[in-house]
Amino acid sequence: MRLAAFLCAALAAPTLALAQQTTPESAPVEPPTILEVPQADAPVIRSAPRAPRRPRPRAEEASPAANLPAAVTEEDIAVTSDYRGFNVTVFGVNPDRLGRGDIVVALRGPKQTVSVRRKMRFLGLWVNGPPVRFTEAPSFLAVVSARPLRDVANNQAIWALGLDAAAAPRLDGPTPPGADPSDYRRAFSRLRRQSGLFVENPRGLQKLESGLFVTHVRIPAYAPIGQYAADVYLFRGGRLISSRSNRVLVSRQGVERTIHDFAVRLPLVYGLATVLLAIAAGWSASVLLRRR
Amino acid sequence: MSIYLPIAEMPVNGLLILLLSGLVGFVSGLTGVGGGFIITPLLLFLGIPPAAAVATQASQIAATSASGLMAQTRRASVDWRMGLLLTIGGVIGSTLGVSLFSSLLAAGQIDIFINLLFVVFLGGIGSLMLYESFTAIRGGAAQARSPLTRASRTIAHRLPFLMRFPRSGLYISVIPPLALGVGVGVLAAIMGIGGAFILAPAMIYLLRMPTNVVVGTMQLQVFVTAAVVTILQASITQKVDILLAALLITGGVVGAQFGARFGARLPAEQLRAVLAVIVLITGMKLLWDMVAPPDELYLITGVL
Repeated sequence: MRLAAFLCAALAAPTLALAQQTTPESAPVEPPTILEVPQADAPVIRSAPRAPRRPRPRAEEASPAANLPAAVTEEDIAVTSDYRGFNVTVFGVNPDRLGRGDIVVALRGPKQTVSVRRKMRFLGLWVNGPPVRFTEAPSFLAVVSARPLRDVANNQAIWALGLDAAAAPRLDGPTPPGADPSDYRRAFSRLRRQSGLFVENPRGLQKLESGLFVTHVRIPAYAPIGQYAADVYLFRGGRLISSRSNRVLVSRQGVERTIHDFAVRLPLVYGLATVLLAIAAGWSASVLLRRR
Repeated sequence: MSIYLPIAEMPVNGLLILLLSGLVGFVSGLTGVGGGFIITPLLLFLGIPPAAAVATQASQIAATSASGLMAQTRRASVDWRMGLLLTIGGVIGSTLGVSLFSSLLAAGQIDIFINLLFVVFLGGIGSLMLYESFTAIRGGAAQARSPLTRASRTIAHRLPFLMRFPRSGLYISVIPPLALGVGVGVLAAIMGIGGAFILAPAMIYLLRMPTNVVVGTMQLQVFVTAAVVTILQASITQKVDILLAALLITGGVVGAQFGARFGARLPAEQLRAVLAVIVLITGMKLLWDMVAPPDELYLITGVL
């Protein structure tokens, strides 16, 4: 419904008026500002972990939202017992009246601390080696654009904005001797891609008339529950022009929520309840067996 | 029928889980071999996280052993004094096991450890079952052996702290039953199994208990240990999924009934041989996975 209303409005009204209409809290028309991206040694993803930490610009503080009107159709996704994942529709308008630049949509799951390990041979068996820890690793990341991301954004921007699963995590703590953290970083990206938790879709963004764009991003059922962010970026000439972040909350509802809250708040009682369930099932089976 | 598991945080096909646990319950009702060590690898294969699979599996074992214990109590084939000693050991062992489980989980080695234990035990049980069913098929040579050796003394008679067990007609040390309980309790917590396949032979050959009280007494220990593991896992790792437990319990209990009823009509020894071969193949596959160079050298662990 929201999308339909948005599309009707967009086709009827001029683009800039629309921007104010859908985002009334935001500042009115401003010329697109160039975001502060550190102009350092033009890092490539591979050498990224060795580069010094630099501030990562957050979308909402870096750029006025009015520059890039965008929204999601569903801000609250309910995980119920028949949950099978959800298609989030992200839509908006390219504020450039000449239609220049490229839109990139990144849907990010809650951040996690993860350990990446390399298997090693021990007494003839393959066991897990010492860990390389990363913080702020996205539990889910989908990056959608209309053409390949490397043609749209330069490496520096991809790195700074965490538009690649290898770029987003931050190295935390010491690394095991002889280990190259960038190998572990690439492995993280590869493993997340294999398990469907890092998705790149260079053709998934649809451009409609009047600078309108729309894309459907699937949150798979096995992606974690928590606070997601649908970040929309406008690039021109490889650099970030403006951005906008929308929140999407994936939370348990109904029975799922009741059970989870029970398990977390009263773990002892929950355990006892499970055992009682087991005894009841065993008792009824025993009674049924005796009758025959 | 897709059901989203609230604790394991993933959707599963409810019918598939019911069918699998029913099938395993059927097989265990048929052959008398517990289902835990088959169900846990199956759950892992379906992609359920090891912590949730092992923690939840304990509740299914509690259900099947509760049902068995009630049946055995009616037949008065439970040695409560021996069962109590085994159970005390089991509670100590499972407490140790759950804390070992969570420290291995934190160290990122839980999958290796569980796999290794399964390789050892699947190999052992598979070989033993295969040997027993072949001797039974060839002409019941095994039946003559156990009553013959019952009179001889074992280490259980020589250790201190002797106690009388009237129901079993034994006068043995309390140390072996306690130690046996502890060992099985640790395995139950780590592997999500009942441990009947270790308890039963140990009670017959080590403690020299008469076979008619072994099953009932064992089920007392298995039930209490599984119940304690369920409660401890729910409190410490918080990985017990009650929805998954309900599916596993329903399938297992119903399947076991059908298995027990059909058991009389089917050639159980041949079935045991087939099961033994399946168990051996599973064990070898797990061993191969640990020995062969892996396709993917890296893995992500410890989201703590």
